[in-house]
Amino acid sequence: MKRTKLLLSTLLALSLWTACSKSDSPGNGGDGNGSTEGKFVIAATPAATQGVADYLLTTDHLDAGTLSTKNNGVEQDGTWRYYTTSKNLFFSMLYGQGNPGAVTAYKLDGGGKLSKLTNFQTETVQAFAPVNDDILMVRVSRSISNEISHWYKVNTESLQIAGEGEINTKQLAGNGEMAHFSWIKQVGDKVFAPYFSIKADGKDGFGTNYPDSSWIAVFNYPDMSLNKVIRDNRTSFIGAYFTDGLEVDEKGDVYAYSSPMATSNGKVTSTKPCAFMRINSGTLEYDKNYFFNITEKSGGSNIAYKLYLGKGIFLLGMTDPATPESSLTDRFAVVNVYDQTFGWVTGTPDPAKIISVSDLNSYSPKDGNTGYVGITTSDGKSAVYKFDAKSATASRGLEVEGGSITAIKWLPAKA
Amino acid sequence: MLSTSFLRNRGVLLLLILLLFQNINAQHLLNDHALKFVTGQVRGQDAGLLEDVAVQVKGTKRGTLTEVNGRFKIQLPDKKGNYVLQFSCIGYRFQEVSINNAKGSNESSHIEVTLVKDDSIQLEDVSVLGRSANDLAGRQSYNVTSIDAKKLHNSTLDIAQALDRVSGVRVRESGGVGSDFNFSLNGFSGGRVKFFIDGVPMDDLGSSFQINNIPVNFAERVEVYKGVVPIWLGADALGGAVNIITGSKRANYIDASYSYGSFNTHKTNLAATVTSQKGFTFQLNAYQNYSDNDYDVTLDVADINTGAYTPDARVRRFHDKYHNEMAVVNIGFVEQKWADKFLIGLSVGKAYKQIQTGARMTSVFGAYHTRGNILMPSLKYEKRNLVHRLDVKINANYNFGKETSIDTANRRYDWYGNYKQYEGLGGERSRSYFEFGNNLGIATASLRYRVAGNQELALNDVFTHFNRKSSDLLLEGSDVYYQPQKTDKNILGLSYKYDVGSKASISVIGKHLYQHAYTKLSYNPSGNWGDVAYKGVSANTDKMGYAVAMSYYLTPDLETKFSYEKANRLPENEALFGDMVNQESNFNLKPESSQNVNLGFIYNFSLSQDHHFLLSATGIYRHSTDYIYNIFNNNQTKLVAANLDGVRNMGVEAELRYSYNKLFSAGVSGTYQDLRNMQKYEPEYESVSVVYKDRLPNVPYLFGNADASIFFHNVFAKGDHLTIGYNLLYVHAFYLYWPSRGTQDNKYGIPMQLSHDASIVYSIKDGRYNIALEGRNLADRLLYDNFSLQKPGRSFAVKFRYFINKKNK
Repeated sequence: MKRTKLLLSTLLALSLWTACSKSDSPGNGGDGNGSTEGKFVIAATPAATQGVADYLLTTDHLDAGTLSTKNNGVEQDGTWRYYTTSKNLFFSMLYGQGNPGAVTAYKLDGGGKLSKLTNFQTETVQAFAPVNDDILMVRVSRSISNEISHWYKVNTESLQIAGEGEINTKQLAGNGEMAHFSWIKQVGDKVFAPYFSIKADGKDGFGTNYPDSSWIAVFNYPDMSLNKVIRDNRTSFIGAYFTDGLEVDEKGDVYAYSSPMATSNGKVTSTKPCAFMRINSGTLEYDKNYFFNITEKSGGSNIAYKLYLGKGIFLLGMTDPATPESSLTDRFAVVNVYDQTFGWVTGTPDPAKIISVSDLNSYSPKDGNTGYVGITTSDGKSAVYKFDAKSATASRGLEVEGGSITAIKWLPAKA
Repeated sequence: MLSTSFLRNRGVLLLLILLLFQNINAQHLLNDHALKFVTGQVRGQDAGLLEDVAVQVKGTKRGTLTEVNGRFKIQLPDKKGNYVLQFSCIGYRFQEVSINNAKGSNESSHIEVTLVKDDSIQLEDVSVLGRSANDLAGRQSYNVTSIDAKKLHNSTLDIAQALDRVSGVRVRESGGVGSDFNFSLNGFSGGRVKFFIDGVPMDDLGSSFQINNIPVNFAERVEVYKGVVPIWLGADALGGAVNIITGSKRANYIDASYSYGSFNTHKTNLAATVTSQKGFTFQLNAYQNYSDNDYDVTLDVADINTGAYTPDARVRRFHDKYHNEMAVVNIGFVEQKWADKFLIGLSVGKAYKQIQTGARMTSVFGAYHTRGNILMPSLKYEKRNLVHRLDVKINANYNFGKETSIDTANRRYDWYGNYKQYEGLGGERSRSYFEFGNNLGIATASLRYRVAGNQELALNDVFTHFNRKSSDLLLEGSDVYYQPQKTDKNILGLSYKYDVGSKASISVIGKHLYQHAYTKLSYNPSGNWGDVAYKGVSANTDKMGYAVAMSYYLTPDLETKFSYEKANRLPENEALFGDMVNQESNFNLKPESSQNVNLGFIYNFSLSQDHHFLLSATGIYRHSTDYIYNIFNNNQTKLVAANLDGVRNMGVEAELRYSYNKLFSAGVSGTYQDLRNMQKYEPEYESVSVVYKDRLPNVPYLFGNADASIFFHNVFAKGDHLTIGYNLLYVHAFYLYWPSRGTQDNKYGIPMQLSHDASIVYSIKDGRYNIALEGRNLADRLLYDNFSLQKPGRSFAVKFRYFINKKNK
């Protein structure tokens, strides 16, 4: 079922990146209607079983209108790509087959069109995040016979790799399995790298014998030396494969969620609830007094991904409670992690019809209320849905013809 | 140097027509009383028994061809009178033998004929236009293109490169000698088109014995069947098959050659056969290829530390060495009472290949390599007229070969050969030291029964047993490698051929395909962590296919051909079990089915005595459903096979050849294929796919060849010949991804390809000593068959060849 959604779950982005700097937000208050100061860039993937490439489309508005990939859009080399922005640059990166590949950097030309600026080469990585002026990237080993994972720093000024190093992810796990980072994130002057434990034995590669624990490796920056591992047994691991499960709010507190999705030989073996936990600003320990049990509120539905809307408000992509092993979003909820309120969102398509959502590549102006998510339905339509947290409703906006929306990014015209 | 199912000269064509008449006449005359037959056997000077020698009663339309043992039987028009039998065979002087039967005796006469070699006619054999007598045997109502490989024996081509000059065929290579290749025929590729050696399937022979490393000298001819595949090539082929025919009719010969070329390329081939008077025979065919493949490429080269690109840098490939060594030995008997052929053989070989790049040239490797070997005993038995009018052929072989993939260097290389060594264990791509044996046994049996002079029944059965044994030498003791992976496949075919009068021939084929695949898959029986068990799963397939092929002569010079088939392709072992490296298992794969139609004509004409033309054209239609295609798995680390709704191809291919006496020949051929995506609904979607009926991306759709040769005879001495040849390959540009998507000015694609090749061959003593100079890609253009993967620039080679053919003692 919903195979496409599984595929799309690997197309990831930096949901927080745009929040790092005020100037990255649209000038008119983030109502989804752009201005001459920049463009929204939408990545769309035509539904086809072979020979598929992504197409980058630009628009001023997310709230209405129609875009098409027919004879339109900047073709990318394949579909296994991820996208991110830094200042006025848009990066299109390769993901696939463990090989190094070209990253293409675009910027908006005078006419508001994407123009290719440069290519440079990086490794294929499984996690990346802005840290200071760098993009930190991690290439994770998935084989027990190779204990070493690698990190790289791309300098966003020179657009070159400015440093690299190694992490022994078998030693890090310390349980005979391998640590696989779900994502990385800058927290203060540290880098938080939540991980899950995998057998990496070539047989049940992503399975584990440790389904009911969570770990966050904390690295010092810029030397990437291991500071400590934050451990807890109240939930399963934080985030998911290629999925960011950790957020830093405006106060510097860290909120991390876990969905009980650890497997062994294809069966879910986690027994813990889906929940948010907190690490208070300046500490490297979980706040044992904070536990936001999502399972209780959602009736067994798990978090597939989160989009931070600001001010403690998250938009959550939620799974079908009938299929606990599913990591695919077919319904949405809004939560406030401060007062632990939970509400289902209305106005989204019938869960049975949802094929894919833009997951972590969705967009929020971080106003504490608004989020934009691309949703593709089985009638072949793909549209941007505008979410309003206060009313817990979603409304249909811009439509894309001939492709599923896999990413929505705001790209400023000027740095 | 290609003879594309055309008749070399009109004489042979005429004879063929006469043959068809003969069948009919024989029918009518059988009721006449007291017929006079002449039987006999034909030998060639300096050669053994000659097959396919045309025998004709002078002044009549009666004719026949000699069989494999040189024997023939022909009926005289009347029991009384004097007749002259005419014997003609390419390479030999025309000969007439008188039969005197003034007394009207009813007894059959028996004559022995030895044909004298004729150099000038041998030269005709070198010319491009036409078909050698050999082809007549395989030529029936099928659409078959025959490459006379003997004419290419002075070139350095491998089988794949020779095939690349056939219309409708594209061989896409990823690099130089030994590189990965993708063979497509009429747009169908990836295992749909099956390969055979002397009628035995080449399934799972491993990397060391593939069409891209078998030299053209290995073959006597190569037949390309388009559309319907005859019954004696028993396989689940879709839309075509290639049969490499090695069987030499020469009893005693030595063919030895060596070539040296650019990029430190060495190729050696030794073929020899010794046959005693009593028919004991020893056959050897051994070859070797070696190349550094260190050709220059132009690309954006990344700095190993910073990742910054130097655009359009010219660098030399440094980790692309390839070599393979192969020997095929057969010992046995020929021309015995109990067997025309009884051979016990052994194929032994190995290959070594360095991997220079990933799927894009920007990812470069410096240590990753693969090895393969083959060890295959074989048995062959052939007997014509085992009992009355029944021919039997039996083949059996078993491959013990192994393939190994070695990626154990924890390094990152750049294009200058520099590398960074990382701590600990790792690989360049994905650390592995993987070994698997695709052990495969094949047994084939073929029966042919001539019901009457113009009717034939054939039954063919091919059984294959596949048993894979694999292990990752880095992950010891993992149970997954001890699970069985077995397949039994049986393909049974029945065909009936009927020659309708003198002008038409029709063949009807029925096929039954059966496959049983078995393995054990791991699962979690309890849902508790760490629990693992294995359950047996099997996939059975039962399919019927059928085909009809016919030919009809509108005029003696104009033949039309039509064929239709409903063919099936069973899921391959690779797709069912995965390969544990790049391919994931899919046990739910359905067989692919295809409806294939071919309609074409061949027309011979001459403007005068000197100017001969040959024009052929074929229209093709293919519609494949449950199309088997590889897609990425869920985390894009591996490929997994899947069934798509379908692909349709409507295409046309045409060829025009011209020859002027024995001095000049030229030809041009072109192929246009319009492959369309017929996947109307993508999985999960209710609306029509946006790329429904769009042209299939990343498949060449317009391409062609042109060639010209000039022949100089008796240059310095009698029997010395000089041939200057030229070949042009053209492939139209095509898109990497769906044509209808994205703005046209920034789409990825493979640019137009144009390659000029030329050769000069000088032969002394009618081909005993040969020296050939060859130049490829003379314009030194950047050539790509696949996106980003550059092929070699301008290259040269010189080849020395010695050939001697001794008369049977």
